[in-house]
Amino acid sequence: MDFLTIDPGTILFTLINTLLIFLAFKFILFKRVDAILEKRQQEVKSVYSAADEALASAASDQEKYAQAMANAKEEAAQIVSRAEKTAQREGDAILAQARAEALAAREKASRDTEREQAQARTALQGEISDLAVELAGKIMEKEIRKEDHERLIRDFLAELDNTDEGDNA
Amino acid sequence: MQISDFFRGSPDGVSVSGPKIVCSFDVFGVTINLTETVIISWVIIAAVTLLLLWLTKDMQTKAVTKRQAVAEWIVQTVYGLVEDTMGKHWRHFAPYIASLFTFSILGSLISMLGLRSVTADFNAPLTWALITFVLIHGTNIRTHGFFGYLKGYVDPVPVMLPINILSEIATPVSMSLRHFGNVVSGMVITSLLYFALSAATKGLGIALLCIGVPAVLSLYFDLFSGFMQAFVFIMLTMVYISNADGSQETANAN
Repeated sequence: MDFLTIDPGTILFTLINTLLIFLAFKFILFKRVDAILEKRQQEVKSVYSAADEALASAASDQEKYAQAMANAKEEAAQIVSRAEKTAQREGDAILAQARAEALAAREKASRDTEREQAQARTALQGEISDLAVELAGKIMEKEIRKEDHERLIRDFLAELDNTDEGDNA
Repeated sequence: MQISDFFRGSPDGVSVSGPKIVCSFDVFGVTINLTETVIISWVIIAAVTLLLLWLTKDMQTKAVTKRQAVAEWIVQTVYGLVEDTMGKHWRHFAPYIASLFTFSILGSLISMLGLRSVTADFNAPLTWALITFVLIHGTNIRTHGFFGYLKGYVDPVPVMLPINILSEIATPVSMSLRHFGNVVSGMVITSLLYFALSAATKGLGIALLCIGVPAVLSLYFDLFSGFMQAFVFIMLTMVYISNADGSQETANAN
């Protein structure tokens, strides 16, 4: 072929060849790389949105925990104050009981003392009457029978006792 | 380059021939020649297709291999170039620019493998220039309407009509001849050099000058010139086409 010719066959073939190489570039290189770039952009976008979500949820969690902490503090204060009140009440009750018991013990002690006194008095009366009868017998020398004297003195003492109690009252 | 391809006849003469015809056949009485240019183009297309398949194999969004990085770099560089030169709305044009550039530069550099440059056949750059021509006028008609497009030829005064037509025709002619002329002149000079070197070798008796000198000149005439012409061709294509849609003024204003 001549050095410079315009050959329709070569032009036609070059046109087809250019189309072929264009198709190769478009559907192999550009299509695939574009798809990858697009996919990567999507992934980056989704990663960013996931990070934003995590951040938002962390913030809400923090708020929730702060709220829970405040609630717990309040509850603890309530529990403490309730316990204090209960302790106070129980302490008071124990104290009152102790006081009552002490009072009862003292009363019992004084009652015992009185009873012992009464017993002692009764015993003393018996002894005194015996002593008096013996004494009177010695003085009177059998003029009066022992039983009569005894009865007389006991009556007298009983009368005396009664006046005593009347005085005390 | 094979010296024997360009040396014809007697040893005291140098001639440079066009591409060889591998075979020719008749289609409805028209003779279609299957030339060296077309066969070498097929080799280039096959190589490019395999290379692209290899580059884009098993691409992942994460764990980027070097292979994938190269593929992404090519795509984004071409996108960047097209967007800078033509504007963002011409983004879809990137695959054509990439294929044109690749075809042109590999068509020139194939000479380094000892094959005939595809671009040293005038028909190849002419075809690309005609594609550009069609795209320019297609874009013009699409943007301004058919009558608006025709009106463009009598702007600013009807006297300009022949000059306007001439300038439109001059565009593909100048583009194709520039590309062809650069590559083929390199080929001619290299042929002359080989002839001179072989003559010198005969004269000196040793092939001393055949080492190194052709490589240095090939660096300019094949590598640099091939790259420059491919780049000039795609830049002109982009500028002409984006000018035709009338939005380049606004794009430049921005």
